[in-house]
Amino acid sequence: MDLLPVVHYLPFLPLAAAVTVLLLGREGPESKLPLLGVTAMAACLVCSCVLFYQGLTGQLDLPYGASVSWFSFGDYEMPLGVLIDGPAVAMLFVVSLVSLLVHVYSFGYMRGDPRFKRYFAYLSFFSAAMLGLVVVSNLMLFFLCWELVGVSSYLLIGFWFEKPGPAYACKKAFLTTKLGDLGFFVGLLVLFAGSGTFDLQMLAERVAMGPRYFPPETAALVAILFFAGAAGKSAQVPLFIWLPDAMEGPTPVSALIHAATMVAAGVYLVARTYFIFAAAPLAMDLVAWAGVLTALLGAAMALVPYDIKRVLAFSTISQLGFMMLALGAGSLYAGMFHLTTHAFFKALLFLGAGCVIHGVHSNDMRVMGGLSKRMPSTFLTMAVATLAITGFPFLSGWFSKEAVLHAVYARSPWLWGTAWFTAGLTTFYMFRMLQLTFLGASRDHHRWEHAEEAPPVMTVPLWILALLAAGSGLVLDYNGLFERLVHFDLEGGGPLAAAAAPAWLGPAALGLFVAAAYAALWLYRGDELGADTALRGRLPGLVRVLERRCYFDDFFLACVACSDRLARLCARFDDEVVDAVFVDSWGGLTRALAASQRFFDDFFVDGAVDGTGEAVRDLGARLRRVMTGRVQEYMLYMALAVALFAIFLQTR
Amino acid sequence: MGILSAIILLPLLGAAIILCVPKDKPRVVQGIAVAALVLDLLLALWALASFDPGTLQMDALSFSFVEKLPWIPSLDIHYHVGADGLSFPLILLTALLSLVAGVYSLNITVRVKEFFFWYLLLETGLLGVFAALDFFLFYLFWELTLVPMYFLIGVWGGPKKEFAAIKFFLFTLFGSVFMLLGILALYFNSTPHTFDMVQLMAAHAGFSREFQILVFLAFYLGLAVKVPAFPFHTWLPLAHVEAPTGVSVLLAGVLLKMGAYGLLRISYSMLPAGFQWFLPVLVIIAFINILYGALCAMDQTDMKKMVAYSSINHMGYCMLGMAAVSSIGFSGAVLQMITHGLITGALFLLVGVVYDRAHTREIGAFGGLGSVVPVYAGIMSLTCFASLGLPGLAGFVSEFLCFLGAFPAWKWVTILSVSGILVTAAFFLRMIEKVFLGPLDSKWEGLPDMNARELLAVLPLTALTVAIGVWPRLALDLMNPTVTYLGRLFPDLFGALR
Repeated sequence: MDLLPVVHYLPFLPLAAAVTVLLLGREGPESKLPLLGVTAMAACLVCSCVLFYQGLTGQLDLPYGASVSWFSFGDYEMPLGVLIDGPAVAMLFVVSLVSLLVHVYSFGYMRGDPRFKRYFAYLSFFSAAMLGLVVVSNLMLFFLCWELVGVSSYLLIGFWFEKPGPAYACKKAFLTTKLGDLGFFVGLLVLFAGSGTFDLQMLAERVAMGPRYFPPETAALVAILFFAGAAGKSAQVPLFIWLPDAMEGPTPVSALIHAATMVAAGVYLVARTYFIFAAAPLAMDLVAWAGVLTALLGAAMALVPYDIKRVLAFSTISQLGFMMLALGAGSLYAGMFHLTTHAFFKALLFLGAGCVIHGVHSNDMRVMGGLSKRMPSTFLTMAVATLAITGFPFLSGWFSKEAVLHAVYARSPWLWGTAWFTAGLTTFYMFRMLQLTFLGASRDHHRWEHAEEAPPVMTVPLWILALLAAGSGLVLDYNGLFERLVHFDLEGGGPLAAAAAPAWLGPAALGLFVAAAYAALWLYRGDELGADTALRGRLPGLVRVLERRCYFDDFFLACVACSDRLARLCARFDDEVVDAVFVDSWGGLTRALAASQRFFDDFFVDGAVDGTGEAVRDLGARLRRVMTGRVQEYMLYMALAVALFAIFLQTR
Repeated sequence: MGILSAIILLPLLGAAIILCVPKDKPRVVQGIAVAALVLDLLLALWALASFDPGTLQMDALSFSFVEKLPWIPSLDIHYHVGADGLSFPLILLTALLSLVAGVYSLNITVRVKEFFFWYLLLETGLLGVFAALDFFLFYLFWELTLVPMYFLIGVWGGPKKEFAAIKFFLFTLFGSVFMLLGILALYFNSTPHTFDMVQLMAAHAGFSREFQILVFLAFYLGLAVKVPAFPFHTWLPLAHVEAPTGVSVLLAGVLLKMGAYGLLRISYSMLPAGFQWFLPVLVIIAFINILYGALCAMDQTDMKKMVAYSSINHMGYCMLGMAAVSSIGFSGAVLQMITHGLITGALFLLVGVVYDRAHTREIGAFGGLGSVVPVYAGIMSLTCFASLGLPGLAGFVSEFLCFLGAFPAWKWVTILSVSGILVTAAFFLRMIEKVFLGPLDSKWEGLPDMNARELLAVLPLTALTVAIGVWPRLALDLMNPTVTYLGRLFPDLFGALR
């Protein structure tokens, strides 16, 4: 059965569901419309399950691409189409599976919420955008879906918008990722200027034709700019700051968007354009080092919080770092493998945390403890997830983390050392979380007594994910199935080199796992938080740095304050200089000119007129003095005049 | 009479009929006005059905619906109108925005008769500017927009309406005087003397470079005021803040496009050497408009003033697309004129909606409105996202094409301009956060959601915003042949940029 052509329609199923659920029916906690979203996702899951199975067993003819014309501008055509390759098949499965489970789980978690219907509309909309992002064949469409998952993340983080926390967090998430997206955007411009197309297959052909057709400088520039976008979405250093705040959203949302799928979109972007990265060693190095730094800092920051969701958020940052590290180290397979297994166990951890929060009505691990007795299903599944993420042998995380570490060792022992150490931190903070939440004795007896196991609609998804978190590694690694589906042959052979890694890598990781797990369980064994407090007292500086998230937030807040000041400056300049000086001053100038004209008029023109009058009057006054009215004097003047006239005539 | 003339003159007829209605029958006046506006849009849509955008292979501009009648033969002045892929979308936009803003303006209660008289007269002026192919006619329509706008702001405006109106009037009059000089210069330097714009477009090569530069500058002064391009923009925030809602919609949605339209129709097509000479400055001005406009918007506390400054930013994208002087850039610029009209038009309507209820537009006065007016919050947020360029909505396609076109020609300026996107996102999201999210101020608990009149006005714009965003063909196919033709002109002048 060839399901590949069906892929075109997959994103439209949840999209139709989202629009219907949003616009039709009455809002209210009893709405049955959200079932539409569940149905849509179930259909998507069936399709992608079949595709994944066929892909793993090599029955699919990959890559598959098909498109129609979307719009034309100038002489160019923008295609609307799909491109299905190995990573896409894997992502399809991950996205539709986690999305369906989260849809189901949310029926329990969001029960009674006054905006129940709208929540599911957003959730289905996210799934549509995410599925679109996975399948589309050209980078402009990819960017479109990329931004749409961003906006659905914004809507869902801010779902409880009456509270100031979510209202602030959703804006922060959107703007921080947007900052990275500026890089992605410019990358698209550079790419199009260099190649004249956004189509992935055409680009791949162009790059394969060699440096004359696609210069390495362009490749490096494009790859680095794309990585800026990926760093925003996938919460890499320094743009990770939004992810811990994103935990303000409903917990199922954190599981779906901020753990399993959307945050992996950045990793997927690198995977999707891996041929460009592979042509630019500089960009690969950047990805690897940014990845390992993110992994290390994320794990370190996960050591200190008491909020169970924050621990998981930092853990997600750290794990995303691992994926990037694998990609940067040259192994597409290891990165995508870790993405897949991580989606299962991290979604499980978040959903489990959701059950805990649902049960004790708090995120704070200090009021938990001993919950294993009250919530056995939640405890058992979360224990499986913890073992998986920490790399317990033969659970899914063990396989993928081994793959990552092997690939990294082949690239650089330094990278490997850091990643190995980070894996130890991972084990430590995960067992700390498990211990503080479920083991030991309860620290808040009232809450403990009222903590109830979640209803089956919430626990069944947990068990399904637990099954996958435990077994998926074994299945996918069996006979190299996954590697055959998802691979990229670097020049010089990345994965082949990994095979040559020394045999002690595995035992080294295992040894560290045992040590870190023991340390965490032993340190936090008491019923009180004594050991934790003592440890914090011992290292106050380090704890403060980690609690302030290494001051990255402060840095960006300072940037925001700066831009606000700049905005104030611009607005004042506009009012007081551009408008007042350049514009209103013309008015003033005109009026001054008018005034000076009036002055001229008054003083000179009018003055001249008046002056003439006055002169005549003056003359008159003087003449008046002469004209006395006495005849004798007139006679005298006449005589004088005649005499003068006579002299004048004589002298000629 | 051809359909284009009918579209232009129908509002004039409506205005004339309104003059005959007694002043104390506002209902009748409103009825006539809405009938004229609806009929006009229907006519425009009917014209759309028979509009021929031409083909990509054309070697001269092809105008549809051309009508040419002698008017003042001794000066070779004709009544000459026609529409191509550059002007026809703008005519459609004008008819649509006039209708929705007219429907919104049904809430005007003082001096209704005069309002709609001036309003319809304004519409005729706007339509005429885009359709005119004779400079005399063009200038007539150009100035015809000025007087109604003056009264619409000056009579029905806010507290400082007189000052705003006179400032707008003097500013634009200042510009149009220079434009008149430019028109006369073209007339006296063409052989034979002509006002015919089509002939002048064909004659571009005949003018010397120095002459073109001088005339370009004269036209630029007139056009830049309308766009508005830095530093001639300061009338805009003031005029918007004072103008009544419906008038703001036309002001931002259509009036600004007169400037951008003129830059392509006149400056580029008739004076390419002048355009080329000015290009480095134009691109800098575009950048200033983008970043400076966005930063100024970020500092505003009045929602309407913020939207007004965002228009300056958006017209910056439009100018950036023009500065690309390529098919892609021009596609972006012309599409940006349309999408900005739709989106910013909707934004002004929406700001009007909240102002009518709360009698304030201060962002800080609100909070948590999302829970009392969900429909309003939803539509407003969608429109804000469209304005900040969210993909899937109309604004993205046009912005993207502007940047895509400009990048090969002006790498650094384009890269720097991209930062405008972030600032735009920042101030719109901040506005959404402060107005709609967070705890509800009890003062606003009884705030009613949007009513039928308001929905009727806004929803068509929202629907088109989504439709063009999802299926850009709707708009692009209308303009593509013309824009592609324009983008290929003058290879000797602009070839190096493309």
